[in-house]
Amino acid sequence: MPTSSGKAQPAPFRIFFVSIACVALSAQSALAQTGGKPGPMQSGTHTPRTETSPIDVGKLFATSCGWCHSGGGREAGKGPQLMGTALTDDQIISRIRAGKTGQMPAYAGAFTDQEMRAIVAYIRSLKPAPVEGRK
Amino acid sequence: MTREFRRTALSFAVLLAFCAGAHAADVDGKRLQNAAKEPDNWMTYHGDYRSWHYSGLTEINTGNVRNLKEAWSHVASRSVRGLQSYPLVVDGVLYYSGSYNQVWALDGATGEVLWQYKQKLNEDLVAKQTHSPYNRGLAMGYGNLYMGTLDGKLVAIDMKTGKLKWETKLVNSEKLTVGFTGAPLLVKDKIIIGAQGGEWPDRGPIFGVDANSGKQLWRFYTAGGEEGNGDARNTWLNDSWKTGGGGGWMAGGYDPETNTVWWGTANPAPLYDWSGPDYKTKGARPGDNLYTTSVILLDPDTGKLKGYHQELPHDAWDFDSATGEFIMLEKGGKKYVVHPSKSGFVWVYDRAGKVQNVWRLIKHINFVKDIKPNGELVGRRDMTEGKHKNLCPFIAGGMSWNMGSYSPKTGLLYKVGNEWCMDLEIKKTTPVLEPMAQLNIGADFNITHPEGEKAHGHVSARDPITGKMKWQIKFAEPPLASLLSTAGDVLFVPDARGWLRAYDARSGKELWSHNNGQGHNGGIISYKAKGKQYVAVMTGWGGLAGDDYGAFFGGTFAQMPKDSGVIKVFSLR
Repeated sequence: MPTSSGKAQPAPFRIFFVSIACVALSAQSALAQTGGKPGPMQSGTHTPRTETSPIDVGKLFATSCGWCHSGGGREAGKGPQLMGTALTDDQIISRIRAGKTGQMPAYAGAFTDQEMRAIVAYIRSLKPAPVEGRK
Repeated sequence: MTREFRRTALSFAVLLAFCAGAHAADVDGKRLQNAAKEPDNWMTYHGDYRSWHYSGLTEINTGNVRNLKEAWSHVASRSVRGLQSYPLVVDGVLYYSGSYNQVWALDGATGEVLWQYKQKLNEDLVAKQTHSPYNRGLAMGYGNLYMGTLDGKLVAIDMKTGKLKWETKLVNSEKLTVGFTGAPLLVKDKIIIGAQGGEWPDRGPIFGVDANSGKQLWRFYTAGGEEGNGDARNTWLNDSWKTGGGGGWMAGGYDPETNTVWWGTANPAPLYDWSGPDYKTKGARPGDNLYTTSVILLDPDTGKLKGYHQELPHDAWDFDSATGEFIMLEKGGKKYVVHPSKSGFVWVYDRAGKVQNVWRLIKHINFVKDIKPNGELVGRRDMTEGKHKNLCPFIAGGMSWNMGSYSPKTGLLYKVGNEWCMDLEIKKTTPVLEPMAQLNIGADFNITHPEGEKAHGHVSARDPITGKMKWQIKFAEPPLASLLSTAGDVLFVPDARGWLRAYDARSGKELWSHNNGQGHNGGIISYKAKGKQYVAVMTGWGGLAGDDYGAFFGGTFAQMPKDSGVIKVFSLR
């Protein structure tokens, strides 16, 4: 078992007592992950999102947007304050889709239409944080 | 002129041209090992394998630096987020890279363009990237310049002609969104390069590639390793290694004496875990999450893990170890490797990777109460879902990726420190992988001032082993560019507002300053061309740390362009 510091332990020590079936399954999984040989890396398997998947937009924002739009969109940070924006819904969606060179990535193809509409609704719902929120 | 004479003259000219060309092509792993003996050149990102970011040139010194004047400059096209790279110089020719994987070769004495190279990129992909489109540097050797691309390739460009020699696709950027922004490292006949990672849900590979053929030779996964090479997937419960992040987005170091590559790895994803103190069994990625936020020691020939030290087990604050250089030095007959990190702490190792000391460069740290000299974390601040105030330092780090400088003349390490904090609200997130990977942050946050004082930066001169401070200069905003010290006892500090300042490296006394018109966020070197010493510094603003300055610090930063890049070169008048 690796610790926070030390020499790497070869994998065989750890899997020595594991059954052959488990080893085979593990190897198969590793091959699926790596393509079996050095080369362009691949992502693991996962369930694609669809238009009908439920959306937790607060979670989505904190996953991908909060890096630049500070305070959950309530304050200017790397990107502008979103709360109270003068942009129309269509303009917001257009910006999410196309991004802005050097300032915001394009999310066309990354977010579904439903997710983009949910983000617009999230922005429209933003209220100022309690006063003690910012020094 | 007789035919015989013409033939002889022509042969001589061809021979001269061949010799001139062959000289640059002679840069190889062996020559890099002796780079310190060639102060006229700057042949690798960190100056040489010791990563001192120090120039042995003395023509410009404390006695005459006041006479420094701009000699020439070159404007880089499409400089979105400024110039963040380091120039390289060999035999009077300066090479540098800019945004969108552009490269220029310039006459080092005049700035005249010899050639320019523009990589054909997947522009649709680049438009979808957040940590983009800057490039932070090149490697040179075997007649080539090597560069990692935004869309996941390593390319070799002919140093003489600026033509593409080969390109090798290493990362499936179309799926993973990220590619390469950091400089490659030439070690012997191999190119080592680390992919972006961190907050992106994948496995953060580092690659070894044949420098001549471009063939991929090995790959090391920083998130969990793999069967047969540092398998540590059991430090990520629930198969979280599959989306673990990691990566090694800055150039590492090399110790020729032990034939060991030292590489700093990035943070795990999501950045902020909601596990709280039960991080070994709960949260997004239960376990220590090897080999994220670690220093790893690799065999450059095979990519096999030789050893490691995880500086922050289960990093829950995005204070990755990818940022710091590996300063290799000797003191009191002992050999050390000094490694600054985003956390604000500086780790001191022996050459085998065993921790010898840990010291703090900045004042405002509260993600832990302390880190003991043996590397043990004391009083971790492991947060749960919800709001948290005054976490220090800010996500951009107590130190960022801008390099410090070590002068063997003064025995001091010069380094930028950042004093700033943040409030955050941690939220439970799920990695987004389809149709292409997205950031996995795990929180909403904002930058704040530390309690009791305004956010600011400083440059300090310290004993690299103990951290004992000799002098310190305060800056209203943290400088985000790298430093350069010289054998002329001059320390150059390019600051965020656009001032390039020269100090006496011994005392910290300011000797000279010049306003370059926009912020600095890249490298600085010194070299000689046609017998004269020059100092070259990158200018241009924008980036993941600097983008906060406009809203937070205001002033000149609210108006500073974020699509402009100029390399400025100075010499004595």
